[in-house]
Amino acid sequence: MGEVIVVTSGKGGVGKTTTVANIGTGLAALEHKVVLVDADIGLRNLDVVLGLENRIVYDITDVTGGHCRLRQALIKDKRFEGLYLLPAAQTKDKTAVKPEEMRALCAELKEEFDYVIVDSPAGIEQGFKNAIAGAEKAIVVATPEVSSVRDADRIVGLLEAEELRDPKLVINRLQPKMVRNGNMMGIEDIIDILAIDLLGVVPEDEMVIISTNRGETVVRMENSRSGQAFRNIARRITGEAVPMMDLDYNEGIVRKLRKLIGLG
Amino acid sequence: MNETSRSMPAKSIIELNRDTKEVSKVRDGVDTAVPRGIIAGESGENTILLQRTLRSGQSFYYDGNVVVLGDVNPGAEIKATGSIIVMGVLRGMVHAGIGNNESATVAAFKLQPIQLRIAGHITRAPEGENFDSERPEIARVKNGVVTIETLHIGGF
Repeated sequence: MGEVIVVTSGKGGVGKTTTVANIGTGLAALEHKVVLVDADIGLRNLDVVLGLENRIVYDITDVTGGHCRLRQALIKDKRFEGLYLLPAAQTKDKTAVKPEEMRALCAELKEEFDYVIVDSPAGIEQGFKNAIAGAEKAIVVATPEVSSVRDADRIVGLLEAEELRDPKLVINRLQPKMVRNGNMMGIEDIIDILAIDLLGVVPEDEMVIISTNRGETVVRMENSRSGQAFRNIARRITGEAVPMMDLDYNEGIVRKLRKLIGLG
Repeated sequence: MNETSRSMPAKSIIELNRDTKEVSKVRDGVDTAVPRGIIAGESGENTILLQRTLRSGQSFYYDGNVVVLGDVNPGAEIKATGSIIVMGVLRGMVHAGIGNNESATVAAFKLQPIQLRIAGHITRAPEGENFDSERPEIARVKNGVVTIETLHIGGF
C-alpha cells in the first residue's frame, strides 16, 4: 500500500511540476514504484517536462470518464524501471474531473504503487480541490518571495482545513548570495511565517531550464546542485535522514536548519 | 487564590485598574446566557480567545474583544467591535472598534500589521518603512489620531 502525496503551492510558476518530476524520478532511481499524476487539466506540463508528451494516447479524463482502463492511460518511462505517468488532458479544463473521481483514482493507484505523487495546478479552486482530494500527505512549494509565501500560507490554511495536516515545505529557487546581501528572504524568514516542517531547499539552477527543454530531469545530472537537492528530498521522503546540502550559506544557519529537519 | 487571577488575559493586560467583580460573578455562577468559552467582561462586552495562528485568507469577525494566542499572518484579518490583542506577531490586518468605538485598542507582542484600523481610522506604516517592533506595543486613538506606544504590562 503506497502513499499519496500532493505537491501544491498556491502561487504559479514556483516549481511544483519541476519538483514532482524530479522527486518522482529520484524515488524511482531508489528502486521504488512511482506514479506521477498530472492534475493540471487543461494546462498539462508534467508530460513535457518528463519528455513523454508524444507517447500520450489516453489521459486522466479518459480514465475517470470510463473510456479506458487505468492501465492503458499509464505511460511507463523507459529510463526507469518503476516510473509511470498519468497525464492530464490538454483539451478540457478543470471541471472535467470531480474530487470523488480523484479520490477513487488515487485509492486504486496506491494499491499498486509505493508513491503516488499528484501535481496540483496553481490556485485554490476546483483544480486544487481535485488534486488534494485523494492525498494523505502534502508538500508545499514556495520560492523566497513575499507573494509566494503569502499564497503558500493560504494553501497551508486550506490544507489544514481539509485535514491534510503537517504539510512539508520545499523552498525552491533560493539564491544564497542574494540572501546574504539582504536582497532575498532567507529560509528562517519563510519558516517564521509558514511554521511547517522543512523538507528541503533547492538552489536556483540554470540547468533546470536546460533540462526541462530537453525533457529531462536535473535529478539525473551528477553536477547539478538543484539535482543534488532533489535527490536529497527524495531520500528524505523515504524516511532517510539526509543532512542539508551546503548552500554556500552561513554556518550558524546550517546548524539551525539541521535542527529544523530533525538531525543534530 | 483570589478572583482576579482567574480573569482572562485581555482584562489583566488592558484594564487592571478596573473593577473585576463582573468577571468573577460570571465564573462563580452558571450563566446560561453566556455561551461556553466566552467570558463576559465589563459592560456586557464579550471576549473570545483564539488559540491558533491565523493564516493568509482567514478572516475572523467578533462582536466584542479578541485575544489571539498565536500569530496573525499577512493576508489574515481580524475584525472586532472591541479591542484586539495578539500574543504573537501581528502581520495581517486588524480592525478594532467597529461601530465607532474609539476606545478600542490593538496590542501585540510584535505589532507589524499591513494595515491597522480603529473605529473609523485607517493607518499603515509610514511611507517606505515597515512597522518595526522589538517590544510589545499598543495602538489607540489619542486626540483623533492613532498612536502606537510601548505596551507596559501591568498597567497604564
